[in-house]
Amino acid sequence: MLCDRCKERDAKILYTEIINGVKKEQHLCEECATEYTSFQMEKPLLNSDLTLGDLLSTILGGFTEEEKRKAYTPVTCSNCGTTYDEFLRIGRFGCHKCYSSFDMDGQLGRTLNSIQGAKIHTGKRPLGYSSAESERNRKITEIEKLTIKLQEAIEKEEFEEAARLRDLIKELKREEAASNA
Amino acid sequence: MLKWYEQIVPDSDVVISSRVRLARNLTNYPFSTKITDEQASSLVEEVKKLAPILTEKTNKKYYACNISSLSDIDRTAMVERHIVSPLLAEKKQTTGLILSEDETVSIMINEEDHLRIQAIVGGLNLEEAYAEADRVDNIAYEQLHFAYDEKYGYLTSCPTNAGTGMRASCMVFLPALSVARMIQKLIEEVGKYGVTIRGIYGEGTKSMGAIYQISNQKTLGMSESEIIENLKRIVMQVVKQERKRREYMLSVNSDEIQDQVYRSYGILKYARQISSDDAMALLSQLKFGLDCGLVKFDREFNIHKMMMGIQPGSLQWTLGKSVGSVARDKSRAEYIRRELPSII
Repeated sequence: MLCDRCKERDAKILYTEIINGVKKEQHLCEECATEYTSFQMEKPLLNSDLTLGDLLSTILGGFTEEEKRKAYTPVTCSNCGTTYDEFLRIGRFGCHKCYSSFDMDGQLGRTLNSIQGAKIHTGKRPLGYSSAESERNRKITEIEKLTIKLQEAIEKEEFEEAARLRDLIKELKREEAASNA
Repeated sequence: MLKWYEQIVPDSDVVISSRVRLARNLTNYPFSTKITDEQASSLVEEVKKLAPILTEKTNKKYYACNISSLSDIDRTAMVERHIVSPLLAEKKQTTGLILSEDETVSIMINEEDHLRIQAIVGGLNLEEAYAEADRVDNIAYEQLHFAYDEKYGYLTSCPTNAGTGMRASCMVFLPALSVARMIQKLIEEVGKYGVTIRGIYGEGTKSMGAIYQISNQKTLGMSESEIIENLKRIVMQVVKQERKRREYMLSVNSDEIQDQVYRSYGILKYARQISSDDAMALLSQLKFGLDCGLVKFDREFNIHKMMMGIQPGSLQWTLGKSVGSVARDKSRAEYIRRELPSII
């Protein structure tokens, strides 16, 4: 059934109003109910009047409660002076160094994971980009990349593919352990 | 040289254009929330130097300018043509633009990220849009020091862009699905695959004339080609659904639809004043009629070009002067009357 008001979205709420003994019933969608009645919905995530900053700080903020209980030391980016709290509040980094400044105990990876569903970049590297660690890191990335694929395969119930990936990961890990030994 | 909205391309009955945008930042400036006015000016100057280099290394001519040096009309017209974002046009700080002659590639300077490299092509062709943006990205990287991290990829101001820094999107025309009130359901459905559907000018904007934007949400953990493949698959699915719905509508209601298309044409062809919202709604009906072969024109006609031409900024840009809304409605009607071909 469509919402009586906007006639666009599905009605999910039956709103009954009794004013001076006159009863009026309306079938409303969440958006219209929030807007036109005293009914308070928790804001739907995709609602456009919720700014990205709000949305991010909701997601990001959820993490810190636990973190705060642990000996919480305020973190500030040494390069641009952005504090971690500030980052949580506005949902923007202050400079490229903030990424490493705020990455205590892999915290940033978890944060990105909650926003993007992944914590490792697997796309383009700038042409000619290299760093001392890049060789080693690439191998780690390879394993992590495969782990992501494995997760996907399991979600899609493609178990043959999952088994293949699992073996590949095992193989790579064994190679790595051997080269480290 | 033809601009993307002037070309005739396949699949344009549903997919109007494909766009790829890459977010890039430099290591020698703070990001947009922290950059000072002075730093912003010097950033814009530094990046603008790319224009002659791009001209030399590609087969296109590139121009660079400061947004503040443009007139209000130019700025509005560029937002309407998707060359610059509303944010860039309104920003108080110094902002810049590099634009290719054919308006396919643009680089916004000092937007939310230092550089936003964007390529836009007609129809469903995300691969070509990416190839264009990628080429410019490579040339830019030779000149500028981009913030890149082994683990997190291209570092961006907002964590929602980190990784590839890429947003790929298609502008789609969905009249049949809109009429059937299926857009909301579609939004929920594609959301499961990390894809969003929004209004015509992106985040927080309304749809006009049943035109929507479909774009990827995730930028991390997927490669550029995976993102494009995924988006393309979903867009093709949407195209299929829209076409099926159109067929169904025509099979049950063809007389009524035909009448509506002709009425729309009648108003567009003979009105003496018309608002941009009205014109957009009617053009959208007419486009539907053209796509379904219900009407035929006596010559080739690009309706997307007109859909852009009737927007307030573009209209005043054509007129060469700023005019009030009543005068604008009159000249809009005049422009449509003049440009719209006859029906055969």
